[in-house]
Amino acid sequence: MGIIKIEKAGKNFSLGKTIIHALKGVSLEIGKGEFMAIVGPSGSGKSTLLNLIGCIERPSSGTVMIDGTDIGSLSPDELAEIRSSRLGFIFQSFNLLPVLTVAENVEYPLHLGGGEKRTRAEKVAGVLKEVGLERFSSHKPAELSGGQRQRVAIARALVGSPSIILADEPTANLDHRTGEEILNLMKDINRKMGATFVFSTHDPKIMNIADRMVELRDGEITFDHVS
Amino acid sequence: MYLRLAFRNIFRNKVRSLITLGAISFGCISLIIAGGFIENTFIQLRESYIRSFLGHIQVYKKGFLEQGVARPFDFMISNPDEVIKKITDHPHVVAATPRLEFSGLLSTGETTVSFIGQGVNPKWENQISTFVQLEKGENLAEGDTYKTILGKGLSEALMAKAGDPLVLVANTKSGAINALDMEVKGVFFTSSKAYDDRALRVPVEVAQKLLHTDDIQTIVVLLDDTSETDAVIAGLNERFKKDGLDLEVKPWYDMADFYTKTVDLYKRQFFVLKLIIGIVVVLSVFNTMNMAILERIGEVGTIMALGTKRRGVVTLFLLEGLILGIVGGVIGVASGYLLAMLISYIGIPMPPPPGATIYWTAQIEMVPAIFAFAFVLAIVTSVVSSCYPAIKASRLEIAEALRHNI
Ligand SMILES: Nc1ncnc2c1ncn2[C@@H]1O[C@H](COP(=O)(O)OP(=O)(O)O)[C@@H](O)[C@H]1O
Ligand SMILES: [Mg+2]
Repeated sequence: MGIIKIEKAGKNFSLGKTIIHALKGVSLEIGKGEFMAIVGPSGSGKSTLLNLIGCIERPSSGTVMIDGTDIGSLSPDELAEIRSSRLGFIFQSFNLLPVLTVAENVEYPLHLGGGEKRTRAEKVAGVLKEVGLERFSSHKPAELSGGQRQRVAIARALVGSPSIILADEPTANLDHRTGEEILNLMKDINRKMGATFVFSTHDPKIMNIADRMVELRDGEITFDHVS
Repeated sequence: MYLRLAFRNIFRNKVRSLITLGAISFGCISLIIAGGFIENTFIQLRESYIRSFLGHIQVYKKGFLEQGVARPFDFMISNPDEVIKKITDHPHVVAATPRLEFSGLLSTGETTVSFIGQGVNPKWENQISTFVQLEKGENLAEGDTYKTILGKGLSEALMAKAGDPLVLVANTKSGAINALDMEVKGVFFTSSKAYDDRALRVPVEVAQKLLHTDDIQTIVVLLDDTSETDAVIAGLNERFKKDGLDLEVKPWYDMADFYTKTVDLYKRQFFVLKLIIGIVVVLSVFNTMNMAILERIGEVGTIMALGTKRRGVVTLFLLEGLILGIVGGVIGVASGYLLAMLISYIGIPMPPPPGATIYWTAQIEMVPAIFAFAFVLAIVTSVVSSCYPAIKASRLEIAEALRHNI
């Protein structure tokens, strides 16, 4: 059974009087350990779908099950609980907190769950080593390049050992080469740790790294291919 | 972690945080200076009433306060020396001096005017009656006999000067008429022209002789410390009761009607000031926090996406308000203290209070309660005014907030 199971999920937004159907009854099952790309033109609903999987928004219709939990009926606090314990996030603009150092940024999700200071520091050091940034732990994000920042963000997504890592256009703000490096790093981690990765992109070359590719158009899945 | 984030976020926009800290500390300083100034005015006003005229406590025969105006000679203290001795035995009592009031006519032979006279003990009275200032001649002194000092207006009406002879005419206690030959020793003025137009003073023994009595009406008591007034009153009442003396005791604050009314008025004004300062601090912190949140919508989206609950976001922004309040409060209280010292050192020249003629110098009283209030106000208003922005931030749509990062 899939770690993520979406059934006939719809998501509507109202813009004044018009209602936008961002997702129209999407059904999708994603297995544990998959490395999956969501592709499609801008406005096709990629971010909306990732937000549903990421427990950031609840579906307007249908169900979204994460690890067997239907998120449609959960309170904001319960959703936050799932996000911090089971999910990791990588963003298009890296979204590091500028006032915190690299190590503090990576530590942030751990502090939400509590735990001892020493084990937290060990985990932070571990993931920073994983992304090759152990030397930069006391730098501020502003002192790093885009690729380095995204590595910090990956470390932050990894640090809580989540079962699912979501990335909305993680390479959109990077040049092609760096983007590929980031994707390869994600892929490595996917292989080593077995975490499920779901990411969106519209870079055709990067899509090829994925094991599975789902294409969205106008809020509907038009293509689902496992390579 | 929240504390660290809150701290660093404050330092992010240094200018804005400095302005906010400035507003908070300015509020504290204004409270401390204004409050300390008002308090000092109260104290000086109070002490001037007490030390220039009223004394801390006055002692009368029971019934004098209710009926003494109509029948002043029916309520007299009969063994004054003994009673005064009992009062001065009490700790904190610096002086106790008798007064005997009477009225009558004053004549130079050519001119005759009415007067209000006060028989006093020069030795002690000169300590209490500092409101009586000599304009010409000399004040009454210990051992003076048929000497008198006249109010300025009274002396002008009579065209009398120091050294001139006068005749005092008054009703005795039993209603007969008596007259005494006196010599003018000096001319005095006080803050009240109305008083100076009619008043004269003589040694209490002379007044007793004129009225054919050994009694007096009032004993004015001066203490070393105004805050001991109530304790001394309790002690005196107990003593009088034990000794079977039929006396009653009145504190200065029941006599200084003008003082209590003034204090009441100023306290209300000070309350309005507190309110205004509170509002200024609230608006300023509110503005800062609101701007901070507008700037950080994307970050709020990020930390919420990472799993921070609404409560966490509220905590973060309230902590920022709290830190601003504490830092602003500390700066405000410290600089308020320094400024108060400086102002007190220089002194504020003040015009005479209503009905008075003497200029005085105000200082800033260091009142611990006002310092504490200013500090607490700084913190409470900062936190309170962060509440709305904090809650607003915690209610942001995560997906919408995240879009601000792009
Ligand atoms: N909060 C929102 N309010 C209104 N419309 C939205 C909102 N979020 C997304 N949309 C609309 O939903 C559609 C899908 O958007 P999105 O999921 O961001 O697409 P993608 O990420 O593939 O570019 C778009 O038409 C977008 O304008
Ligand atoms: Mg998108």
